[in-house]
Amino acid sequence: MATAPTSLTIFSYQVGFGDCFLLRFAYADGPRHLLIDFGTTKLPAAAPKDQMVLVARDIADKCSEGGLTAIVATHRHADHISGFATKADGSGSGDIIRALAPKLVLQPWTEAPDEAIDSLGPIVDSTGKRSMANRLAGLNAMHRISAQVLGMLEGQSLSRAAPEVRDQLAFLGEDNLSNASAVRNLMTMGAERVYAYHGCDAGLADLLPGVETIVLGPPTLRQTETIKKQKSRDPDEYWHLSAAALDSDATLAEEDQSLFPGHDAFRASKLPMETRWFAKRVDDARAGQLLSLVRSLDQQMNNTSLILLFEVGGKKLLFPGDAQIENWRYALNSEFASKLDDVDLYKVGHHGSLNATPKSMWNRFRKRGGEKQKGRLKTMLSTMPGKHGHEKDNTEVPRRTLLKDLEDKSELHSTHLLEPDALYQEVTIEF
Amino acid sequence: MSRLSNTRKLTILAQDPAVRLGGRLTFAEVDVPAEILASGPTGYRVKVVDYDASSRLLYQDKIDHEPVNGEFKDPFARAPEEDDPQYEQRLLGNPNFHAQNVYAIVMRTLARFEFALGRRVAWSFGGHQLNVAPHAFSEANAFYSEEDKGLFFGYFDGITGRVFTCLSHDVVAHETTHALLDGLRTGFTELSGPDQSAFHEAFADVVALLSIFSLPQIVAALLDSDFRPPREGSEVRLIDGRRLEPKALRETSLMALAEQFGREIQNVHGDALRRSVMIEPARDVLSRMEYQEAHARGEVLAAAMMRTFLDLWDRRIRELGTFGDNQYNLDMVIEEGAKAADHLLTMAIRALDYCPPVDIDFRAFLAAALTADAELIPGDKYGYRDSLREAFASYGIDPPEEGCLAADGTWCPFDRTVPISYASTNFESMLRDKEEVFRFIWENRVALGIEVRGVIEVESVRPSVRQGLDGFFLKETIVTYIQRADLFGAEVGAILSCDRPEGLPTTQRITAFGGGVLVFDQYGQIKYHITHRLNDAKRQFARLEYLWETGQTNAGLRGARDRFAGLHRARAED
Repeated sequence: MATAPTSLTIFSYQVGFGDCFLLRFAYADGPRHLLIDFGTTKLPAAAPKDQMVLVARDIADKCSEGGLTAIVATHRHADHISGFATKADGSGSGDIIRALAPKLVLQPWTEAPDEAIDSLGPIVDSTGKRSMANRLAGLNAMHRISAQVLGMLEGQSLSRAAPEVRDQLAFLGEDNLSNASAVRNLMTMGAERVYAYHGCDAGLADLLPGVETIVLGPPTLRQTETIKKQKSRDPDEYWHLSAAALDSDATLAEEDQSLFPGHDAFRASKLPMETRWFAKRVDDARAGQLLSLVRSLDQQMNNTSLILLFEVGGKKLLFPGDAQIENWRYALNSEFASKLDDVDLYKVGHHGSLNATPKSMWNRFRKRGGEKQKGRLKTMLSTMPGKHGHEKDNTEVPRRTLLKDLEDKSELHSTHLLEPDALYQEVTIEF
Repeated sequence: MSRLSNTRKLTILAQDPAVRLGGRLTFAEVDVPAEILASGPTGYRVKVVDYDASSRLLYQDKIDHEPVNGEFKDPFARAPEEDDPQYEQRLLGNPNFHAQNVYAIVMRTLARFEFALGRRVAWSFGGHQLNVAPHAFSEANAFYSEEDKGLFFGYFDGITGRVFTCLSHDVVAHETTHALLDGLRTGFTELSGPDQSAFHEAFADVVALLSIFSLPQIVAALLDSDFRPPREGSEVRLIDGRRLEPKALRETSLMALAEQFGREIQNVHGDALRRSVMIEPARDVLSRMEYQEAHARGEVLAAAMMRTFLDLWDRRIRELGTFGDNQYNLDMVIEEGAKAADHLLTMAIRALDYCPPVDIDFRAFLAAALTADAELIPGDKYGYRDSLREAFASYGIDPPEEGCLAADGTWCPFDRTVPISYASTNFESMLRDKEEVFRFIWENRVALGIEVRGVIEVESVRPSVRQGLDGFFLKETIVTYIQRADLFGAEVGAILSCDRPEGLPTTQRITAFGGGVLVFDQYGQIKYHITHRLNDAKRQFARLEYLWETGQTNAGLRGARDRFAGLHRARAED
């Protein structure tokens, strides 16, 4: 009977702009595997088209001994779960993973179906008890908005928007598109499913003996309320309203309809000279509004990320998904915050973006330091430069300043530094 | 040759399409400054560009704006004796009426500010014409954007049909007020404590609500659901005194903003978008968690203002005689309401001249309003200032402890014993020239107690004209200057004289503001020096702590457009 692992190997797969980490815990009686996320929104140019299937097969191969013990899907963004999508003929990368029959699938509480509400306690705001169905419907409305925005980009509707705004809309739209197949696969895969929130039992203790899993995030709405200076608000209805507004927007744009049929109007290409400057501003403002809307929902989705801290063999490993400051804030104010001080390995949040590695958290890591630092911090980054954000407004991912900090003060392992034909990199920690 | 008049009539929708009184929509003719409009309509301060980004169409202005026989015609006037069953639908379905509606409400709101201040009010962006898009895009939002020199009004499909935010008087007046306030106090759009963005929203709400009281027929109808239009020579119209009780007045549509917007998204809000006056007074209300967020907090200030108004109106109503069994003359009641609203609105707008130019908070605004009113009407015969103080105090808002006279809550006059040097500056230039005023401030920086490590800039030099009780006109000069300091967290103690908020890194970049208002009397002597000093430890610490805790310390990255768009979107989310 295994009691504790003797080493851990982390395989970080080349999925371009996405995350996919396979953790192999070596026990005396054989290895056990934990898969954390499997998704991409953009593969490297050199990668084959079936890269995700190749990754899935490699995972299956690695799990041929010891099996796939559990899966963690930190949140439902495409760059974290698209690999779990199945195909009707059973040849999808998600089919390969499903066939490994994981014993447990761990997801954030926001993915819980309606019956799980009791485990979270009532979530109450000024309008009364909210059901999980509302939460899920809110997530679906966000997907709908993303699809609408992508539809606009394909048509003429946003042709007058600035190229960089179009790029950002396309990126965020794609990442927030519904992954219905992947979501369904995760919802039905595994013998047991746990929907986790700050401080809850992750259910992994028996499956991974000697590994303590602390769920740092996401907080529930009730937990969030205790640290917010603002009253809690449930955004779900807002997303429905926005989706409805975009429905009428799409109808007007696609069919070139007038709000006032029968009233004479100039087309955008034939505007009187004196109206052109402001008409362009209206176009820009609309694109800007759409971008704010999509950014806002993207951030909300990121903040549903699981933040997991594994303690094993005297080492601490932090996997925060794409959690941003609003999710982190609760963890950093919690009783677990001091555990972050001596983290040994940090999976860099949100592919190295501006907001996902709060300074108040990064500065806590005592094992940061130069090459001579004893027990130097290891960092793992899965990213692809040039896909998201721009240097000119300091929104590029990965962020230059963070990347420099990671290079200078930690032993950085990043997929963007891999050789073009490498499928993964690995890091081993002996206990 | 006939003479063109100074004002003209234009039809607007005085509430929004959800409000029907006596079965009719609230169309009303209002006075706006007369001018020969160009297509749009486009006038000397407003340019309506009816471009819709969602359909990518510009709706043509089909109205002939030329005066006829020296008279300006209202293109959408209801024919006096004609029963036109299609009138309402004709207007609601005509984008040119929508354009007229926004033009007229913007101009009317602008004119109200200029009347109160006795001078022209500039837009903050430097241009002369505010652009307005009445059907900008499909979104449940409307906002002012300094960057775009304009107002955007969205439309959306609500529960019962399409909602045009440009047809809501309250929404249009609210957004226009943002633009006007930004023109008068640019510093109020910077990041600050919770009061500042709340102030912008509250002020815009109050202007929208009080503006309605100058339309007597609308007020009559909103007060009395059995409303009937007045007939010439008809008997006195009466209203039951029970309808005029404070509680009943608080529940009328007069106290609610943006009815249609609120109803159409009622699955979010459940009532009109805002009915601030219903917030129960409590001294601790502003310290409660739910009132730390800007919109909710703004409603507390709006509630204090509207409760003041209701108190003033109530006092005036009680002085009227009754007819029979607690019946009041409706027209007199409305007239008294119009007077009270007019006075309070003037007081609020004039108060802006007496507000510190940065980091406005509710307490400073109260002192400014009391000072503005005391300058205008020293006697306070109707007890307006007492009423204002009481209503504000009931929500825990008192004049600042420092810099105010304890007796009446007004700002302390400038201490004439302070050795100010007027010798190097030219009196005439001081009335209009920023460079001259800057020299004056610089040379007197020590006497004025101005910390020089922040960059000082004279923001404005404006004349203020008012008629004294003796009938003579008093001319004063209002000067505002702003200080800006860009520093790191480690320098907070040295420059701002306060502690660093817990957790704020020493390497964190911070921008802090200071500034003041100098009021010069007609002899060019300082009458008031109203300041928020750069090294005011208490204020700076509170601001920094708030920004740090709410994650806004880096929010300067946010674009100017998103300041109000984001705020209003957040309100819809609220």
